[in-house]
Amino acid sequence: MKLSAEQIERLYQFTRQHYVEYYDLQTELVDHLANAIEEQWQQNPKLSFEEALQIEFKKFGVFGFMDVVEQRQSALNKKYNKLVLNELKTFFSVPKIIGTISAVGIVFYLMKQLQGEFWAVQCLFFGLIISYIVGMVFLMRRNKKRNKQNGKKWLLKEIIFGYSSSAGLINLPIQFALHLKGENYHDGLLLLFSFLLIVLGLTEYIMLVLIPSKAENFLKETYPEYQISVGSL
Amino acid sequence: MYICSDVNRFSMKNSQLYKGSLTTIVMKLLEENGRMYGYEITQKVKEITKGELKITEGALYPALHKLEAEGVLEVEIENVDNRLRKYYKLTEKGTSETINRLAELEEFIKNMQSIVNPKLT
Repeated sequence: MKLSAEQIERLYQFTRQHYVEYYDLQTELVDHLANAIEEQWQQNPKLSFEEALQIEFKKFGVFGFMDVVEQRQSALNKKYNKLVLNELKTFFSVPKIIGTISAVGIVFYLMKQLQGEFWAVQCLFFGLIISYIVGMVFLMRRNKKRNKQNGKKWLLKEIIFGYSSSAGLINLPIQFALHLKGENYHDGLLLLFSFLLIVLGLTEYIMLVLIPSKAENFLKETYPEYQISVGSL
Repeated sequence: MYICSDVNRFSMKNSQLYKGSLTTIVMKLLEENGRMYGYEITQKVKEITKGELKITEGALYPALHKLEAEGVLEVEIENVDNRLRKYYKLTEKGTSETINRLAELEEFIKNMQSIVNPKLT
């Protein structure tokens, strides 16, 4: 005996009740539960749907689906970090590296000119932080609006649009800005500052602009079902 | 997988010994069967080991997701019986990785055997 469409819908509801927010994960768990229930019916056709479901759910242990959700999250976070790193690498290979080096050069030159007035350099770092926060808020809002429209949440999408581990990108510039003092720094150190400023700026650009603009491609690659479900809406 | 007495049956099912080998087991199965979905993998392992080894759901899916994020596995989706089914299969990288891991595992088994069961020659 196979499960009906209503029973499948009930399974989706069941996963949502047990804190699986994301459609990609829901789908996989629903198929698993459905297979397991059908298998139970083969052994014992008298078993009710709800009874069979409870038996299967117990097999996931006391924490239910939590473990699966958490580990899926960490796996996709890793994937996201890899995406950012790969994009960053392109800025350090031909031809983009020419632009990167020139940008570092310009910042270095500016810093050298502004030796006496380090508040200006501090402003650059703070500017990075503020633009990052503003950009993130903007992305999160846009994503929220879209989610409301189609009602399905995708984990990788949530990570791309603002729920990524971004503490480093805020904390690092703050530390730099606070520790800069109006002293005469060695050229090597100035060069390091310029380099860091550019790398942070580029990372910000990748996270806020580049990856969100390619999000559809990444999502389709990660979730073959993404196209099916978006297309059907 | 070598000892099958009833005394060992209970402890074997949850043995810590298997934990490190879970990903290798999954990869080996996918190498043999092409593509598989989660439930199918749990059933296959049960079938091969005659119920001695049960992969728990709570361990299997995290392992699959990790391998997918590492680029060892890729996924396909199909509509089966009113629902979407997610199939996993090895990528090119995954296929060569499987060979390495199996060699490693075999080496491990060999070493363990010579420790547990030293030959007297």
